Amino acid sequence: MNEYSPNLAVIKKVRKETHDTNTYTLEFSDKKLQKSFSPAPGQFMMLSLFGIGESAISLSGTSNNGSVTTTIRNVGSVTNAVLRLKEGDFIGMRGPYGNGWPLERAEGKNVLIVVGGMGIVPLRGVVNYIKNNRKKFGDLEIIYGARTPDDMLFRYEFEKWKQIKNTRLDLTVDELPIETTSKCKIGLVTSCFPSMKTHHKNAIVLVCGPEIMMRYAAKCLETIGFKDQQIYLSLERRMKCGIGKCGHCQIGLKYVCKDGPVFNYADIKPFIHPL
Amino acid sequence: MNSYNIEKKDMNILLDRFLEDYKVFGPTRPGADSTFDEITSIKQLHLDYTSTVLPPKKFFHPPKETLFSFELKNDKFTTKESIQDKKILILGIHPCDVHAILKLDKFFSTDFSDTYYQNRRKNTVLVAINCVEPSEHSFCSSMGTGPYLDEGYDILLTDIGTKYLVEIGSKTGQKLVEGVNLRKATETDFHEKERRLKLMEKKIKKFMNTTWLPRIARENLDHEVWLDLGEHGGVDGSFPCLSCGSCSLVCPTCYCYDVYDTMDLSLISGTRNRELDSCQLLEYGEVALGDNFRRDRKDRIRHWMLCKFGAAAGGKNSSCVGCGRCIRVCPSKIDLTEVAKVIRGGKQR
Ligand SMILES: Cc1cc2nc3c(=O)[nH]c(=O)nc-3n(C[C@H](O)[C@H](O)[C@H](O)COP(=O)(O)OP(=O)(O)OC[C@H]3O[C@@H](n4cnc5c(N)ncnc54)[C@H](O)[C@@H]3O)c2cc1C
Ligand code: SF4
Ligand code: SF4
Ligand code: FES
Repeated sequence: MNEYSPNLAVIKKVRKETHDTNTYTLEFSDKKLQKSFSPAPGQFMMLSLFGIGESAISLSGTSNNGSVTTTIRNVGSVTNAVLRLKEGDFIGMRGPYGNGWPLERAEGKNVLIVVGGMGIVPLRGVVNYIKNNRKKFGDLEIIYGARTPDDMLFRYEFEKWKQIKNTRLDLTVDELPIETTSKCKIGLVTSCFPSMKTHHKNAIVLVCGPEIMMRYAAKCLETIGFKDQQIYLSLERRMKCGIGKCGHCQIGLKYVCKDGPVFNYADIKPFIHPL
Repeated sequence: MNSYNIEKKDMNILLDRFLEDYKVFGPTRPGADSTFDEITSIKQLHLDYTSTVLPPKKFFHPPKETLFSFELKNDKFTTKESIQDKKILILGIHPCDVHAILKLDKFFSTDFSDTYYQNRRKNTVLVAINCVEPSEHSFCSSMGTGPYLDEGYDILLTDIGTKYLVEIGSKTGQKLVEGVNLRKATETDFHEKERRLKLMEKKIKKFMNTTWLPRIARENLDHEVWLDLGEHGGVDGSFPCLSCGSCSLVCPTCYCYDVYDTMDLSLISGTRNRELDSCQLLEYGEVALGDNFRRDRKDRIRHWMLCKFGAAAGGKNSSCVGCGRCIRVCPSKIDLTEVAKVIRGGKQR
């Protein structure tokens, strides 16, 4: 088998999230592949636009029939081309790659999710997983920061999330337009920590967002008693292969694509703080 | 395994045998430098070379290659892989370069297998030659990769005067010499090999102490030598690194590559390709919104050095084999053996 060879997938549905971000429901054209496809939350795919290139893209959701959703923000050539695709269009896809979130470790614990911007994407699967396996987990708390209320992804699901038993959702933004009706707080995700319900005892923290935000979030969590070992971060690096061969995603002695993208903070700490 | 000897003047017989089954590549000397090129007649072959500019990596992990082509048909893309299965034989490869290939073999097969590398490798026969004359920059004896070879070859030659000692290392190697009228090697041949290799070892002038080196490197991430290498120069007379990436291109264990697509003018078909890349280049660590994890030159050269010291993600599979090529080509006179001394604290700058 050639790991570099993308499989054809068809876009079943496009949903607009924000001015530069859409969510796509994708299905492999190969029905057998489709049936056996069962990625875990936090894993990612290499999406291919023939003639343009490949990009690492997290899975934002999965369903029983093997179809998946990805949520993609337009930042450059591949992602820009993706944004122009319609339902019925084809795209190349290979994966899933990476380790995903430590869900087994999280069982029996209170789960705190701290996300910024696009960081919500790989964690949406975790929220849904907890919803579907509610008894296995303790309390769930989600702290989500975005630039403005209009930049928030999956807004249409917030009500459903809040209705998950023992769940708290805290939203914050960098700026609030004057004309807005939104009741969001203003401030960085870390400004939500004082009102946080999750206590460090018997908790696990899953963090994803811009690296600078993760650095600060992890530091602040430390000061309020969380141990490094309780904190997991999903890192982003430039990725050209997704399978530990092109070298681009190296961090310290690890490949983010193969050994991550989710790392325990204790292991990765020396490498994400500026030296 | 069997051993034979062959008169140097009869090497053409062996070459002709190789040519029956394989495209043969070996050291040629088109100018002052040696290079691995196709050999069709014994006249082109220069087995008495010290080092080549590019390592034989180019045969397995070429500077540039097409992974597959694609075509748009009825709104759907079809892809066609370009798999290379030409049988080749590399004649006259040195121990350090064989060790580099063994490292890449491991690298390209762990966890995920790289079809393109594996296919080429599978179809390659290695006829190695022990080194009897070091290049001024090589330090293979420090790295345990030379001047003797004891693994990884199909056939191993050693210059023992007017003859070559021919040692067989695999079934493929054995099959290749069957039918060629070779004499059985004698005790004297082996003594001569031993003598010459001992002599060779004495001629090596460069060393690198590798004890705990990966660990020492990791514990010295904020050593001032990195800033000196990147910005000030002065590490044993070096100039600041130019971020030219030459060191990666000539290194037999540097594996990093970039991937890009090309499209025909028709916009119907195109290719996906890969090309060797280097962590010394600015773009290598770029991510969204202009961020870069290794923007400073000191960070890039540090990463490269750590990789070569076995302290990056590639581990032992991308560490140095002591071929000396990077030292030779570096326009800024940067020498990793000197860097190793500095981070050990063994040398004042
Ligand atoms: C594990 C992982 C999961 C990801 N999940 C998602 C996701 O779910 N949704 C999403 O929209 N994006 C995601 N990304 C980011 C996405 O891969 C990049 O935004 C994308 O590759 C940019 O490609 P491009 O061709 O559109 O941009 P380019 O034209 O190649 O570049 C535009 C800008 O993006 C930078 N860039 C290129 N590759 C990457 C990269 N891998 N990571 C960050 N920046 C990059 C370039 O340096 C440049 O500044 C993820 C990245 C990783 C590593
Ligand atoms: S680091 Fe330099 S000396 Fe070592 S194998 Fe690479 S090119 Fe040769
Ligand atoms: S060859 Fe020398 S100058 Fe060029 S990138 Fe390597 S260390 Fe820097
Ligand atoms: S993306 Fe290529 S090594 Fe990780």
